[in-house]
Amino acid sequence: MKWFNGVKQIVTGVIIGLSALSLVACSSGNDEGDTSDKTEISLYSSGSKNVEEFWEEVIPMFEEEHDHIEVEFVFVPSGTGGQSTMDRILAANESGNDSGVDIYEGSLEDILRGKEDGDIFYPLTSNNIENLSNVQESNLAGANDLAVPYRASSVVLAYNEETVTDIPDTAEELYQWIKDHPGRFAYNDPSTGGAGSSFVLSTVYNQLEEGAMDIQDESIMEEWGKGFDLLNELAPNMYQEGVYPKKNQGTLDLLANGEVDMIPAWSDMALEQINKGLLPESIKLKQIQPAFTGGPSYLMLANNDDEARKEAAEELLNYVLTTDVQEIVIDQMYGYPGIKWDLLSEEDQEKFADVMDGYRIFNGGELGGKLTEQWQKEVAAQ
Amino acid sequence: MRKQWKSALLGLGLVMPSFLILLVLVMYPVWSSIKTSFTGADDQFTFEHYQYIFTEPLILNNIRHTLIVTVLSCLLVLIIAYSIAIYLRFSQSTVARWINKTYLIPMFIPGVIAVYGFINFYRDNGWVARIIGEEYMPAIIYNVKGLLMINIWFNIPFTTMLLISALQSIPNSIIEGAKDAGANQWRLFWHFILPLSYRTMLVALTFLFMGIVGSFTAPFLIDRNAPQMLGVSMQQHFSVFNEIEQSSSLAVFMFLLCSIVGCFYIYSNIKESKKELK
Repeated sequence: MKWFNGVKQIVTGVIIGLSALSLVACSSGNDEGDTSDKTEISLYSSGSKNVEEFWEEVIPMFEEEHDHIEVEFVFVPSGTGGQSTMDRILAANESGNDSGVDIYEGSLEDILRGKEDGDIFYPLTSNNIENLSNVQESNLAGANDLAVPYRASSVVLAYNEETVTDIPDTAEELYQWIKDHPGRFAYNDPSTGGAGSSFVLSTVYNQLEEGAMDIQDESIMEEWGKGFDLLNELAPNMYQEGVYPKKNQGTLDLLANGEVDMIPAWSDMALEQINKGLLPESIKLKQIQPAFTGGPSYLMLANNDDEARKEAAEELLNYVLTTDVQEIVIDQMYGYPGIKWDLLSEEDQEKFADVMDGYRIFNGGELGGKLTEQWQKEVAAQ
Repeated sequence: MRKQWKSALLGLGLVMPSFLILLVLVMYPVWSSIKTSFTGADDQFTFEHYQYIFTEPLILNNIRHTLIVTVLSCLLVLIIAYSIAIYLRFSQSTVARWINKTYLIPMFIPGVIAVYGFINFYRDNGWVARIIGEEYMPAIIYNVKGLLMINIWFNIPFTTMLLISALQSIPNSIIEGAKDAGANQWRLFWHFILPLSYRTMLVALTFLFMGIVGSFTAPFLIDRNAPQMLGVSMQQHFSVFNEIEQSSSLAVFMFLLCSIVGCFYIYSNIKESKKELK
């Protein structure tokens, strides 16, 4: 039993040590909060790893320049209930409580939801956010003066230069290319990643009149048939006669292995992987016409009736639109900058020359989910 | 009498914490998903979500696919694991010793990593294809064959472990006695070894069924896009289509499937312990 006593002593020691440590940790935390006159704001963001890394770099830079502001960063990885932050803001607004969220990084859908429900977000103009005048005007349209579109990305065509000679310029040429090269094109399951869902969306909406992407009325679903017929027609010419890998990375892996020659991919993911050597150098990117979908990421200011926090948050938004931060967007996230191209160095402009042809913004709200559901029933289960 | 009361209370006290945790972490979520699965758009009681999962061809195909894959995987795993267990029980060779040392390894490799390794090994231009030539490579990844293979790979260690312990608990004296009485190997197997280990086989089958019917990672990454395993379909309904009620009804259906198998297991256990009490 001697060893047992020994173990008991060790365990007790560890427990006492840990509780002592936690007490110390608590008290030091409290001290800081009590004595400082700093304004504390919180930033809620969501997305992939690169978004998290971006903020972890920008926030300390911001805090150094603005030593009266402290930013608490809360990151919700994508697919783990990012919508709950929005629900929290809405619920707090309804009950008149403080949501604890000052800055929220969200989507176009969130802006529309906020607009419907009233004063959820503070209006943002170049009066309170000076640098807003530098932002690309096409991105500002969807923001409704409620959000800052600080970066963007889009889906583009990624292809292997060594094996693809007749590079398609238009969507029609792309469909013809797929038919001419059976088994050499793949798009990922649209329910698992935006690149595949953009391909499905673009293919369906290319068959409809211009402006259809802005319609949120469900009656348009009746007109989807033609697009789905085309997808079904293409299916036997896809990778393994109709296999759609899971996640955006699934098709990128196939392209890297040389199992396919062409895929739709997110511009930022593909650029990052080319630069890090995860994709071979022969992989090139290109936007076709009409373009695949894409869009900006928006920052919103949640209304908590606290003037000091509002001003501090506005300062952060203004800071994000400076060229310093925008260069981080370009260099580290491989995202499109939020500010106008001519404000950036020529070197940076050149980096995006291949994919700068823009993107279309899908503004159909919940129709996106419905489209995926129909795809699962009509194309996958074919 | 007082002493009995005391020990009863002590027993209850010891069981209480785990029971309370079970209540909060298991019973409550189960209850709330059952409730969600019967709730319509206007908060009224409805059967429409069950109607959906039992009439929609998409889901019906998924259910059929799930059952086929689960039953096939269970049978294959059981056959292979039982053969390994028998071999390890009765053979003293070096090979047997080596298998004994290594068969548990797959248990310690995290699922996602194993699946990616598997994909790299068997994909169309993967390792195997490079050795045997790409044109001879059968479709394994993005195919139900691959799913069956990875299910076998994941489940053999635990099943074999269970079966070996059952076989090892058969006393050598029984086997030697039977041999002395003139039983040949088949007789020995059918009349002694199988009857003495089949209950553990049922236990293993229960665990296998529950594990495979609700699996997600392997079918998500390896199976075709349609038909899907129910776990994948449930996730899709929940987080892509935002059909929380429908995915709840799928979950309840899967819960029922598992509880049928579970009841079967408990029933056979009760029967056995009654026998022992006599």
